[in-house]
Amino acid sequence: MLAFLVQRISQALLVMFVISVVAFAIQDGLGDPLQEMVGMSVSQEEREAIREELGLNDPMVIQYLRFAGNALQGDLGNSYFYSKPTLAVIAEHLPATLELVIGASLIIILLSVPIGVYSAIRPQAWLSKFFMGVSTVGISIPVFLTAIVLIQLFSIGVTVNWFPSDTAWGQWLNEALSTEGGLPSYGRGEHLTPLFGTWESGFFTSEGLMHLLLPSVSLASIMLPLFIRLIRAEMMEVLQSDYIRYARAKGLSAWRINFLHALKNTMLPVITVGGVQIGIMVAYTILTETVFQWPGVGLMFLEAITRSDIPLIVAYLMVVGLIFVVTNTLVDLIYGLVNPTVKLTGKKA
Amino acid sequence: MTTATVSRWDRFRESFFWYSFKRDKVAILSFLVLLTMVLAAVFAPWLAPTNPYDLAQIDIMNSELPPVGMAGADPAFPLGTDAQGRDLLSTILYGTRVSLVIGFGAVLLQAALGILFGLLAGYLGGKVDAILMRIADVQLSFSTLMVAIIVGAVFKASFGNLMFGEIAIYMLIFIIGVAEWPQIARTVRASVLAEKKKEYVDAAKVMGFGTGRIMFRHILPNTLSPIFVIATVQIANAIISEAALSFLGLGMPETQPSLGSLIKSGFDYIQSGSWWITLIPGLVLVVLVLVINLLGDWLRDVMNPRLYKG
Amino acid sequence: MALLEVKDLDVRFAVRGGDLKALRRISFSLDKGERLGLVGESGAGKSVAAFSILNLIAKPGYIAGGQILFEGRDLAAMSERELRRIRGNRIAMIFQDPMMTLNPVLTIGTQMVEAIQAHRKISRRQAREIALDRLRKVQIPSPEKRLDQYPHELSGGMRQRVIIAIALLLDPDIIIADEPTTALDVTIQAEIMALLLELCERENVALMLITHDLGVVSQVTQRMLVMYSGRIIEQGPTREIINDAQHPYTQGLINALPQMGEPGGAIVPDPRLHAVAEERALGVPLPPPLPLRQRAVPAVDAGLCPFRQRGRGLLRSEQPD
Repeated sequence: MLAFLVQRISQALLVMFVISVVAFAIQDGLGDPLQEMVGMSVSQEEREAIREELGLNDPMVIQYLRFAGNALQGDLGNSYFYSKPTLAVIAEHLPATLELVIGASLIIILLSVPIGVYSAIRPQAWLSKFFMGVSTVGISIPVFLTAIVLIQLFSIGVTVNWFPSDTAWGQWLNEALSTEGGLPSYGRGEHLTPLFGTWESGFFTSEGLMHLLLPSVSLASIMLPLFIRLIRAEMMEVLQSDYIRYARAKGLSAWRINFLHALKNTMLPVITVGGVQIGIMVAYTILTETVFQWPGVGLMFLEAITRSDIPLIVAYLMVVGLIFVVTNTLVDLIYGLVNPTVKLTGKKA
Repeated sequence: MTTATVSRWDRFRESFFWYSFKRDKVAILSFLVLLTMVLAAVFAPWLAPTNPYDLAQIDIMNSELPPVGMAGADPAFPLGTDAQGRDLLSTILYGTRVSLVIGFGAVLLQAALGILFGLLAGYLGGKVDAILMRIADVQLSFSTLMVAIIVGAVFKASFGNLMFGEIAIYMLIFIIGVAEWPQIARTVRASVLAEKKKEYVDAAKVMGFGTGRIMFRHILPNTLSPIFVIATVQIANAIISEAALSFLGLGMPETQPSLGSLIKSGFDYIQSGSWWITLIPGLVLVVLVLVINLLGDWLRDVMNPRLYKG
Repeated sequence: MALLEVKDLDVRFAVRGGDLKALRRISFSLDKGERLGLVGESGAGKSVAAFSILNLIAKPGYIAGGQILFEGRDLAAMSERELRRIRGNRIAMIFQDPMMTLNPVLTIGTQMVEAIQAHRKISRRQAREIALDRLRKVQIPSPEKRLDQYPHELSGGMRQRVIIAIALLLDPDIIIADEPTTALDVTIQAEIMALLLELCERENVALMLITHDLGVVSQVTQRMLVMYSGRIIEQGPTREIINDAQHPYTQGLINALPQMGEPGGAIVPDPRLHAVAEERALGVPLPPPLPLRQRAVPAVDAGLCPFRQRGRGLLRSEQPD
C-alpha cells in the first residue's frame, strides 16, 4: 500500500513540476511585470534598477525557483484586471464551475449506467440500437452547439406553424412540436445560498437549480455518448467471460448475474476512464460557461485571455493542472481499493 | 506462372474493402455526403452566389434576412443572410472550405508527429519510449482541447489580434496538430510493439538494414491500417476542435470565417430571433463531422480482423 | 429409466452463410451414480454436448432438435425459469479453467452462498455453514479463512477444489465436468481427479467427464462415448472399448496412448505415419509442390474461403491456361 502511494504521488509531483515549468515559461515569455507596475513614464535607468530589485535579471533557474517557491506558499501573483491575488479570484469563481461539473456528472452517471447496461444485455433490441445511433450523432455535435440548440428550444422557445392550424391534427402537431422556452440561459440566478467561504450554492433554491439545468445538460452531452459506449463495450466483453457462464450454470437469477457479477466487473475499467474524463470535463466548462455566461473559472479564463491578464492565465493553468493531477491520482487509488486483484503494490497481482 | 496482368482497378474491385463498402448503406451514404461537401467546398468560388471576402459585394441593408420559406425572405439569399448582410450560403461554402483545410492539415501534421514519435517510442523503447509516452499521457490527461486552448491563448497573446487573424489558418493547423499527436502516436506505438516481435523484423536486422530503414520501410507499412482508421476519426475531431477554438474567439476571424466562427458570430443574434445565422452552419458542421465519424466506424470494422466474426 | 437421457440432440451455430452443425443427432444416457466418459479431439463437440445439457451454449449456438430428458422432463423444452431450478441444484458443472471460472471481484464465500440461496430459502449463516462443510470435504486447509478470500489469492489447484465444493453444495444428482484438470499443473491433476472420483462415489453422484485423456477415462469411468466431428462414433462400457475398439478412429486414439503398465510408456505411432516416413526414407518422390494459389482454387470452389467473391476473382485471373 505504501509503495503504491509513494509511486503514485511521486508521479503526480513530476507532472505538477512539468506543468509549473510550462506555466512559468508562459509567464516569462508573455508577461512584462514592469509594464504593468510602472507604466511608460519611467526612465531606462530606473527601470533597470527595478528589474534588478525584482530579480528579473537573475538566471532563469533562480527565477523559476522563486516562482515555484511562491506558488507553494499559495502566491501566484496579482491579477492585472481584478488587482487582487489570482488565487482569490479563482476561489471566487471555482464554486460555480464545480457545481456545473457536479450537475453534469450526476446526469452522466444516472443516464449512462442504465442505458449502457441495457444496450449490452439486449444488443439487438430496437431501443439499444436507438441509443447507439443517438450516441454516434451525439459524439459528432460540439458542446457549444448542443448548448445553442438547447437555448433555442428551451429558453427562447420555438413556434411551429408548418401545419394548417384550422384543422385539429394540424393544430395538435403545431403545438406538439413547439416549445415553450422560458428556462434561464444566462448566469446562475440572483438568489444563491451562501455555504462557506466564497462558496455560494445554487443547489438549494429552485431558481439556482433552474439556472443549472441547461448548462449542466450541455456539459453532460459531450461525455454521455462516450460513457454509454464505454459501459456497453465493457459489459458486453464481461458477459462473454467464463465466470458469467459459470454463474448461469449455478442457477443464479439473470438479475443477480447482470447487476452483481457483470456490473461489478464492468465498472472497474469504467472508474478509471470515468475519473479521467471528469477531469477533462473542466476543459469543456470553458465552452459551456462561455455560452451561458456562467460565472465560473472557465469564463474567467477566457476573459483573462482577451484582457491579456497573464498572472490570472498562469494561475488558472496551475490550478487546473492540480485538479487534473489530483483527480487522476485519486482515481488510481480508488481503483486500487475497489479492485481486489490490485494489491496496491503498483503491480497487478 | 501467370501472364495475365491484374490492373489496380480490377484489384480494387475484387477487394474485401470494396465488397464490404458496397454492402454497407450507411457507409455509402456517408461517403456520398462527404464527397458532395468536399466538392462543394473545393469549388466554393465557382458555386457560391457571392464572395463573402469581398466587401464590395456586401450590403448592410440585407442583414439578418431569413432563409427562403419564411416571411420576409429574399430569393437571392436562399439560406438568408448574417448580421453583416453576407449571403449565408456563400459564407457556409467558404466556411466549410476553411474547416476542411484546417481539419485535413491538422491531421497531416498530427500524423507526421504521431508516426515519428510512435515509431521511435515503440521501436527504440527504453528512455525514449518512457519520455515520449509520459508527455503523451500528460497531454491526454489534460485533454487535447485544453492543450489547444492554452497554446491558442499563448499564440494570440504573443502575436496580437490582428497578426493572429492573418495567419490564423496556419496557427490552427499547428495548434490542433500539436495538441492531438498523442492519439496517433499511441496507436502507432502499440502496433509497432506488436510488429516488432515478428520474424520479418529479425530477418531485416540479420540482413543488416539500418534502424531507420527497418522502422520506415518494414514496420511502418504494416501499421498503416490502424493509423488510417484513427486518422479518419481525428479529422472529425480536428474539425470540432477548430470550431471550438473559433467559437471561443481563438480561431478564424469573422472576416475569413470557418464553420465555428460562423456559429459564434450568429450566436450573438439568436436572442433576437435570427436562429438561422448560427443553427444552419451548426447543422452543416454536425453533418460533416457525423459522416466522417460514420466512415471512421465503418473503416474500423473493415480493417480490424478481430471483428470479422461478428 | 435412466436419470438423464439425450435423444437425437442437434446443436447448431448460426454463422454467416448458414448453420454450422456442432452436434449431429447424438444420443446417450446416464444412470444414477454412473460415471460416463466423453472423449474426442478438440472440436469434436464434447464441450458443446456438455454445455447444451443445461442449455448454456454461447450465443450463435442453439439447440435445433432432439430431447434432453432429465427424470423424464425435457430440459431442451423448458423455460429459462424452470431450467434455472435445475442448474447448479440438480445438475452441477465444473468448468475447465479454474482461473477464469470464479468471478475475480467477489469473495469465495459470496460465490458459494449465492449458489445455495439461489435454490434454498435459508439464512446466510446457514448457507455459510454448508459452504464450510463442503470446503472441508474437498480438503482445503483452513476453510474458514477461504470464505473471505478472493479467487486470485488461491492457487489453481485450490480454486478447482473450491469449484468442486460449489458443485457439491446442493447435493446434485449429476456433475458435468468439462476437462476439470486440463488447465492445472501436471503434478496436481491426478490429485484433483482422485478427489472428484472419491466424492462422486461417496455421495453417489453421477459424473459426466469430458476429456481428451483416454488414460483418465479408462481409470475413472464405467462407460464411455467417443465423439468425432459432432457425432458419437462409438459407445459402451469403458473396459470393452479400451480393450477392443471397433471404430478405426477409436483404435487410432488408443494406439496413440503410451502403453499402460509399461514404465516409460513407449509410444506406438500411427501406421500411416510409418508409411510417410518409409516413403521418404525410400526416396520415393513426393508429388510436386503446387503454388498456393492453384491449390487454393479447389478450396475456394468448395466454399471454404470466407471471401468467395474476392478470392475467386483473384485466383481465376491468375490461373494457368
